[in-house]
Amino acid sequence: MSDTLALRPALRPWLREKLLLGRGLRDYLRGFANPADLFTLLVLAVGLPILVARFAFGLGAVTNLSQQTPWGLWIGFDMLCGIALAAGGFSLAAAVHLFGLRAYEPVVKPAILTGFLGYLFAVFGLLADLGQPWRVWYPIAVSFGTTSVMFEVGWCVFLYTLVLFLEFSPALFDWLGLRRWGRALARLTVFLTVAGVMLSTLHQSSLGALFLLAPERLHPLWYSEFLPVFFFVSAIAAGLSMVILESSLAERLFRDRLGRAPHDLDQLVLGLGRGAAVVLFAYFFLRLQGLARGGRFDLLSGTWGGWYLLELVGFVLVPCLLFVAGVRADDASRVRFAAALTVVGVVLGRLNVSIIAFDWAAPVRYVPSWMEVAVSVTLVTLAVQCYRFVVNRMEILGRTA
Amino acid sequence: MTTTHDFTSLYDARALEYALAVVFLALFVVLWRALEAPPREAVAVRRAGWFSLPEGVRLHPGHAWARLEADGLVSVGLDDFGHKLIGPLRDVQLPVPGTALGQGRPAFRLAADGASLPVLAPVSGVVAQVNELGRRAPGRLHADPYGTGWLLKLRPHRGLQANLKQLLSGELARLHMERAAERLAASLTPELGALAADGGAPVHGFARELDPDGWERLARQFLLTDDVKDGGES
Repeated sequence: MSDTLALRPALRPWLREKLLLGRGLRDYLRGFANPADLFTLLVLAVGLPILVARFAFGLGAVTNLSQQTPWGLWIGFDMLCGIALAAGGFSLAAAVHLFGLRAYEPVVKPAILTGFLGYLFAVFGLLADLGQPWRVWYPIAVSFGTTSVMFEVGWCVFLYTLVLFLEFSPALFDWLGLRRWGRALARLTVFLTVAGVMLSTLHQSSLGALFLLAPERLHPLWYSEFLPVFFFVSAIAAGLSMVILESSLAERLFRDRLGRAPHDLDQLVLGLGRGAAVVLFAYFFLRLQGLARGGRFDLLSGTWGGWYLLELVGFVLVPCLLFVAGVRADDASRVRFAAALTVVGVVLGRLNVSIIAFDWAAPVRYVPSWMEVAVSVTLVTLAVQCYRFVVNRMEILGRTA
Repeated sequence: MTTTHDFTSLYDARALEYALAVVFLALFVVLWRALEAPPREAVAVRRAGWFSLPEGVRLHPGHAWARLEADGLVSVGLDDFGHKLIGPLRDVQLPVPGTALGQGRPAFRLAADGASLPVLAPVSGVVAQVNELGRRAPGRLHADPYGTGWLLKLRPHRGLQANLKQLLSGELARLHMERAAERLAASLTPELGALAADGGAPVHGFARELDPDGWERLARQFLLTDDVKDGGES
């Protein structure tokens, strides 16, 4: 008891320093009185009660999911898109720690943080979607469905989220004043990076393999035996594009958190754009291969064909060419625009496979309810707020040692 | 009973896939070349100590350079020493076309890490063109300070020849650059002295590395603009 009392005077300034950035509570809260933060509060005020309702009254109360359509927006967007957009973590870590591209070191920590938050919130989305979320750990410890793709995805996502946490944790331990722990973990960097590449290769592709199990339900233009390869390759393009967008936004929004001598971000953006151009180019031709293997060119003329071509040309080929043009003109703005198009394209591609072109011939189509959309928006908002919380406190954007 | 095998139709789909693979590889070569070789104005670069200094460029002692172009205009920019001194640029404030500049008078301003540094015009003239790269991507200028990193093109006055005589070229320019580096090494040891002894080269933005608090003053001394007031061009 007396220990607790003795701790109190020391704890308060520590909490104030760490959580409130050294300001008083009232002063700290006053910092949120701006349009962007008020909008965030509005989103949370709508979304969080819906999440509570989902757990209190079940999936049927807030979603349009059914026995025929058990996977909706929370799988198609939160899970599939969240995981794909978080692929920048393993791509950048591999580039710097395995391939020796040290110039990209300033963007590795932000990429790993984005990756970690992407996976964490994808898992939150999954928890909302699972009929019995309290059994989420069953594939890990209780029931081993070793012949199921889902078992492999479950294990990989679990392990890789852990790997991302360990990769991110040196910054966390530094912040908490446990520098020795941070240094010990930093020594595992190469091991963690190798594990990250292996696990990502496995589950990014397995998420595509899930749809191999339903050949008759997915539109023939999107169904391909190469779906696992499509998912893996497009995830790398999405990851690189997210790093371009996220580092550019962070440089504007968190200027005071940058190192004393800011690195030349435009040059890094052009380099990442060069990589993304190559990946998108390969992805475009892989998709053409899938089309050739399916042999259903006749379907390209209809409405579905138009939609397919819009995705393939408008959001794969066009951003690829824009990346090339941006790199050639030394124009980082054009590369950023191409990155935004790529992100939209990968999201559209995932939604096409999981929702839009899935059960395409069913008499009753699934359309997400507004509450499903609100929960997805809430999860993205929470992820952005977590990013902001971490970046404002830990050494993520600053100069690396 | 005879059975006929139409082998060619059996391999139709495969033929298309092989053709696609060949087209991919051929176009990949084009893509790779396009990404590897961004078009740049070819400039023969020679070195003066730690810093690059191409042929045909005349230097102002304040580290601006001038080059007479084939179209009669004079290109102006910041030399390699100046770029390495200041480091990554956040912004470049260039005069609008039509502005008259005088040799040795402030011509443009470079913003880096909270400081705004004026640079003197190497020759007199009227601004004919400004480099959009300076506005769009100031951080890219240093990669090629005498090529794509040009800042202004001036339509020179009649007194151009007299102006040019005031500038350093050839061996003198190289000597000026080397002297500046030596002056830096001599006056700002131990950091740079140790670095010079090791055979290293100054980092990009070395003024800040050497003197984090007073780097702006140091940079202005080298740019010969330590008496130029902020806001007004003296």
